[in-house]
Amino acid sequence: MNTAHIVSSFDRDLETAQALVMRMGGLVEVALLDAAEALDTRDEDLAARVRAGDAAIDALEDQINTQCALLLALRGPTAGDLRTVLTVMKIAAALERAGDYAKNLAKRTAILSRMTPVAGASGSIRRLAKAVVQMLTDALDAYIRRDVKLAEDVRARDREIDQMYNSIFREFLTHMMEDPRNIGPCMHLHFIAKNIERVGDHATSVAEQVIYLVTGALPGDERPKVDSTGTGT
Amino acid sequence: MDDMRTTAPGLQAATLKIAARGVQVHYGATHALKDVNVDILDRAVTAFIGPSGCGKSTFLRCLNRMNDTVASARVSGQILLDGEDIYDPRVDPVQLRARVGMVFQKPNPFPKSIYDNVAYGPKIHGLARGRADLDAIVEASLRKAALWTEVKDRLDAPGTGLSGGQQQRLCIARAIATGPEVLLMDEPCSALDPIATAQVEELIDELRAGFSVVIVTHSMQQAARVSQKTAFFHLGSLVEYGDTANVFTNPVDPRTEAYITGRIG
Repeated sequence: MNTAHIVSSFDRDLETAQALVMRMGGLVEVALLDAAEALDTRDEDLAARVRAGDAAIDALEDQINTQCALLLALRGPTAGDLRTVLTVMKIAAALERAGDYAKNLAKRTAILSRMTPVAGASGSIRRLAKAVVQMLTDALDAYIRRDVKLAEDVRARDREIDQMYNSIFREFLTHMMEDPRNIGPCMHLHFIAKNIERVGDHATSVAEQVIYLVTGALPGDERPKVDSTGTGT
Repeated sequence: MDDMRTTAPGLQAATLKIAARGVQVHYGATHALKDVNVDILDRAVTAFIGPSGCGKSTFLRCLNRMNDTVASARVSGQILLDGEDIYDPRVDPVQLRARVGMVFQKPNPFPKSIYDNVAYGPKIHGLARGRADLDAIVEASLRKAALWTEVKDRLDAPGTGLSGGQQQRLCIARAIATGPEVLLMDEPCSALDPIATAQVEELIDELRAGFSVVIVTHSMQQAARVSQKTAFFHLGSLVEYGDTANVFTNPVDPRTEAYITGRIG
């Protein structure tokens, strides 16, 4: 719906909520990329900054929830306006979780930098993080542009993330079987990989919110899950 | 029915009460209503919404031939009540209006006692056999209108002495005293305060157990609260008609969306 409301302050309130969620998305993207870089380059200062930055992301979620509660109470939004408010709240919750995973990654970086590096592992994780952040960026772009096609594309890409995760999982298994001293770092690295894979799921749910916002219905078909790790995780 | 409100039973049992087919209304040279087709269900509340002058009240007034009283109005098309055309020349509009009752925007009790306000319709339609019968109809109607406990000790007091909300419920009692099947309400709450409005809305929800209720309202929130079906009129056309839950969350027509979200007036 492109035309403006008769009451223009209603438009400003809706735009504020959406601008806040975009700002939150930007912070989460940077946190994830920085955390992956800190892991790869063993940069403890950068990791510490990522951990400290999570408070700002959480504060934005609070602000978004307050803004949305006000919109619901004072404006009584309907139809597309209602879906805008509902999706902003859901996206903020997904981004908050993604921010927590970035923080967790940064925490493990501090521990891992005191352990023997596992050859090639941090590079694989960084590539996984980049792919996931691209999904998140595209999902948020799709939201602002109300682009269902791009949102569908993001959903489809989650399959690739699952495959990347599965191959990282097998890589770590091999390292651990080769040398028991790899078990400690590989356990941490595996949690990191799993958490980044989860961020992919959150990016997917952002994309699904775009589809709900535009069409009024969530995509019904269950996406095929690829989990060949044999663990059912 | 996608209505997820746990307090509102669905419409599974609802049957067709009024069918409008190709209804057109002209006031002189003005084409006020253009080819309206709609199915109104029994034991359900149907809300008509739309900006001023969109034709919603005109259509409501077609449903009990109130437009007959407007000299310049010409109605064409078919309106079937239980399958019978209400514009058939053999239909007596007075008898029709006993079956299709109406409540207006401003409470308009007769300048008579509370009792006589309710008893008037049954008396002129010869629905009561004696005083005891009439007493029973008055009490039952006032109970259905959720007014009985408030007025049972002063039935001889003038109806005009009641509060606005009570007067409106008295008018509803008066409308249901003739045992109608359909109740038309033209902005029944626009002259009432929020508490009286809530009481009338609660009453509407109770009435739908026994009637087909059609309500015209300018308050979209009221339409959303009380109705199961919503019809949106714009510039004399019926733009969209569907389940209220769908119309207010995911309307099909962009004009409906623009209106309910406050983008066109």
